[in-house]
Amino acid sequence: MHRLTSILPLTLLLLLCYTATKGQTCTYTISGELKDRGSNTPLPYATVYIQETQSGTVADSLGQFTIPGVCAGDYHLKFSHIGCDTENYFLQLTADTILVVFMAHHTELLNETIIHGKREDNVTSVSNTIGRRDIVTQSSKSLAGVLENIAGVSVLKNGSGISKPVVHGLYGNRIAILNNGIAQAGQQWGNDHAPEIDPFAADHISVVKGAAALAYGANALGSVVLVEMDNIQSDPHLHGEINYLFQLNGLGSVLNARCEKAAKWASWRMSATLNARGDLKSPHYYLTNTGKREANVSAQLEKKIGEKINTKLYYSLFTTETGILRGSHIGNLTDLENAINRSIPFFTRNSFSYGIEAPRQTVQHHLLKAEVNRLLKEGNTLQFIYGGQLNNRKEFDVRRSGRENIPALSLLQQSHYAEGIYKTIFGTNLLLKSGIQFNYTDNSNNPETGVLPLIPDYRAYSAAWFVILQKEFKKLSYEFGARYSLRQLNAVTISTTLPRKIERFYHLFHNYTLSGAVKYLPAANHKITLDAGYMLRPPEVNELYSAGLHQGVSGIEEGNRNLQEEKSVKILLADDFSVNNKLFVQALTYYQFIRNFIYLQPLQEYRLTIRGAFPLFVYRQTDATLWGADLMVTYKPTDRLKFQLKYAIVRGRNAAQHIPLVNMPADNLFASAMYAFPDVGRSKNNTISFNGRYVWKQTRLLPEQDFLPPPNSYFLLGATAGTQLGFKESELHLTLSAENILNTVYRDYLNRQRYFANEPGIAIELKAGYIF
Amino acid sequence: MKHNALLFVALLCVLLATGSCKKDDPVIPNEEELITSLVYTLTPVTGGAPVVFTFTDADGNGGLPPVIIADTLQANTSYLGTLQLLNESVSPPDDISAEIAGEAEAHQFFFSVQAGLNATVAYADFDGNNKPLGLATTLTTGNVSEGALTITLLHEPDKMAAGVADGNIANAGGETDIEVQFTVKVQ
Repeated sequence: MHRLTSILPLTLLLLLCYTATKGQTCTYTISGELKDRGSNTPLPYATVYIQETQSGTVADSLGQFTIPGVCAGDYHLKFSHIGCDTENYFLQLTADTILVVFMAHHTELLNETIIHGKREDNVTSVSNTIGRRDIVTQSSKSLAGVLENIAGVSVLKNGSGISKPVVHGLYGNRIAILNNGIAQAGQQWGNDHAPEIDPFAADHISVVKGAAALAYGANALGSVVLVEMDNIQSDPHLHGEINYLFQLNGLGSVLNARCEKAAKWASWRMSATLNARGDLKSPHYYLTNTGKREANVSAQLEKKIGEKINTKLYYSLFTTETGILRGSHIGNLTDLENAINRSIPFFTRNSFSYGIEAPRQTVQHHLLKAEVNRLLKEGNTLQFIYGGQLNNRKEFDVRRSGRENIPALSLLQQSHYAEGIYKTIFGTNLLLKSGIQFNYTDNSNNPETGVLPLIPDYRAYSAAWFVILQKEFKKLSYEFGARYSLRQLNAVTISTTLPRKIERFYHLFHNYTLSGAVKYLPAANHKITLDAGYMLRPPEVNELYSAGLHQGVSGIEEGNRNLQEEKSVKILLADDFSVNNKLFVQALTYYQFIRNFIYLQPLQEYRLTIRGAFPLFVYRQTDATLWGADLMVTYKPTDRLKFQLKYAIVRGRNAAQHIPLVNMPADNLFASAMYAFPDVGRSKNNTISFNGRYVWKQTRLLPEQDFLPPPNSYFLLGATAGTQLGFKESELHLTLSAENILNTVYRDYLNRQRYFANEPGIAIELKAGYIF
Repeated sequence: MKHNALLFVALLCVLLATGSCKKDDPVIPNEEELITSLVYTLTPVTGGAPVVFTFTDADGNGGLPPVIIADTLQANTSYLGTLQLLNESVSPPDDISAEIAGEAEAHQFFFSVQAGLNATVAYADFDGNNKPLGLATTLTTGNVSEGALTITLLHEPDKMAAGVADGNIANAGGETDIEVQFTVKVQ
């Protein structure tokens, strides 16, 4: 009986709807204009298609379209154009409707601001964004691998499975990675610790290169990587996508499913990714033990409470098991020298395997985020965010007597973050954004390892306050920001001498950040941004307290308790312009000076242990300068043809000692050419493209700064062919791509594996994506 | 706004309150895999007092430097050598040599004699595959001389590789668990 009463009104409602639709006259008109998001200019000849009626029209030369005689009802509109992602729009038609649809056509002109439509956020920031479709087509790569497509971003690797982004020469502790607005709180200090983020869950991945990112907190010295999800579309139907990818090199498979729906009780989105591959193959041999497993899930809920309150809940779990090249595991310096002199790494098997043995890493990372936005009077808003993270990292080494399944490093880190932000607009166009942030991190070593910990147990607290002012005046936009944070660190160390003693240390750091930016728009197709910032970064726990043998670098690392904050000044000038909507140029140059730059200094002395003598590395401070330039040029002579060129250089100097900085990316050039064929029947966006990447040899390094001189320059050739098949309510995307087509033998300076083995050879991938 | 300000103060208090809690003392790991000492005992075949070489680094990689004690051998004499590996960071000390003997197939010691030193070392023990291990050796001295003797223990060497069974380390691969050097006097 209960059941019946609950079903009855629903049935009635449905019937009512049905009769209402049936009784309606079909006289409504859907009209509108299509514009290019990047240039804000009309986009001619795009296709408008109504799924329900299976009819549509083509916009005119001014981007205008009109569809007359449409009945009242719910419709899914699709807007498509050569070289753009299809835009979907859900419309409840109850009257004549005029739409302005922005399409991401000239993506090279897009920045974060426009994509998110949040005018107030980073109106002056210099950033580059990678969209959903590009993320999906590169999903066999890690987060850093996807980011490498942005000029100025390089990748620091430990073999093929572990990679982290390098932006303008800085990485690790010095750049912040924000997953859905929360600073990633894993073990970012380790060069062999990749950020624990599934790029597949993201809709946009951006790099904010300027100093204007201070609101993101963390302890970045400039650049910030943002991994972001879109709001869930207000479409009451179930939509989603299923992607499958097959990699020939490593016989890997990636499966991802994602769906979302704006249900009555709340809007929700779920995403899950499974990724497994075995040993990769370099041109002449297998890279034994370089397999990888990954399983990730995420869920997002959005609910509007009344007119004024918007709530969001997000949870994600990232789990991975990554093998590390067996031949790169060494015992001491003699082993390293032997390994360097090998043509094929030790322990190389001449057969493929999915197996993962020691050395390997396993990581689980949980993120829970809750967000409440409240709209106040006069357009003011108040926002609360909580972000909790739990990171469980275990690293397994080759050990004696069955201890390979006992981790040699086992860390559990939890962190809690709370933030409150208030936004208000004074007068017509002065925006003020101010917030308070608290963060608590607790890091514990699990004594199961039977090894003295490299990083001590610690707790860190920080509290911060920031304010950002933004003003637009005619062709100028200004932004000023200030941030103060207090960071407290309590470290509990175990002495390296006998008897083992527990010692407690306490640090307190005051940090200030100041930033300013001016954007000048001399014309609609021209933008000049000048951005400057002064930032302090407190030393991280690894820099203060590392103690022990770091087998990864064949050295003994010692922290330095007396380190001071790094003080950095960064100035960045960006110039974006286009000529006749055919040529698009983004040029950027920057200079950064870092006082008290923290680095690992190899000492002249060797430390004698029972494993032999090891070089001793101590954290020291110096003054460093970094400068560089990023350039991206796109030329589209016609809508069907697109040429692109990206070029980046970075120079880093230890200014006090007049020597180069280590781990600076070499100069690199990327060029691509793409042709879009005319649509054939169901198949649209038929494209073929070729690309080449040239990486110069890193010549700015002294022989005594490394065990081995940097590897030679290399050129890699790639190609991609893709099509999109359109069906009534869905689309099928097919892509075939190949990297390193020439099977080039090469090594990369920023990959630690370069001491031991070549990079992977030819990699062919087939991707299929079904979108509904 | 007032309400929100209160919430912030409350949050701050919570954080400060947790801040006053001390982080618990970490559990000092039981370093059962650590090798702190190597003892190479050479007993003359014809009998007599043994000669002992020791390398001791009680606190492991960090801390204080190791203590190396070398001794003097008689010229033109054969010795029976035994290697003992100990973990003296725990009490009673662990006998790591027993662990090595149990995993003989995955280990091998190498004895490298510097050109100036007039001595040869031969294996006296073998693993299940009849490949040398090196916990037991015979050391034969020649004429009066002086030079370095390097003892290396490799984990997972390629014991089938060329020359490895004869004690040549060049093609062995693997990871070094021990590499110690003694200055040996033959008189």
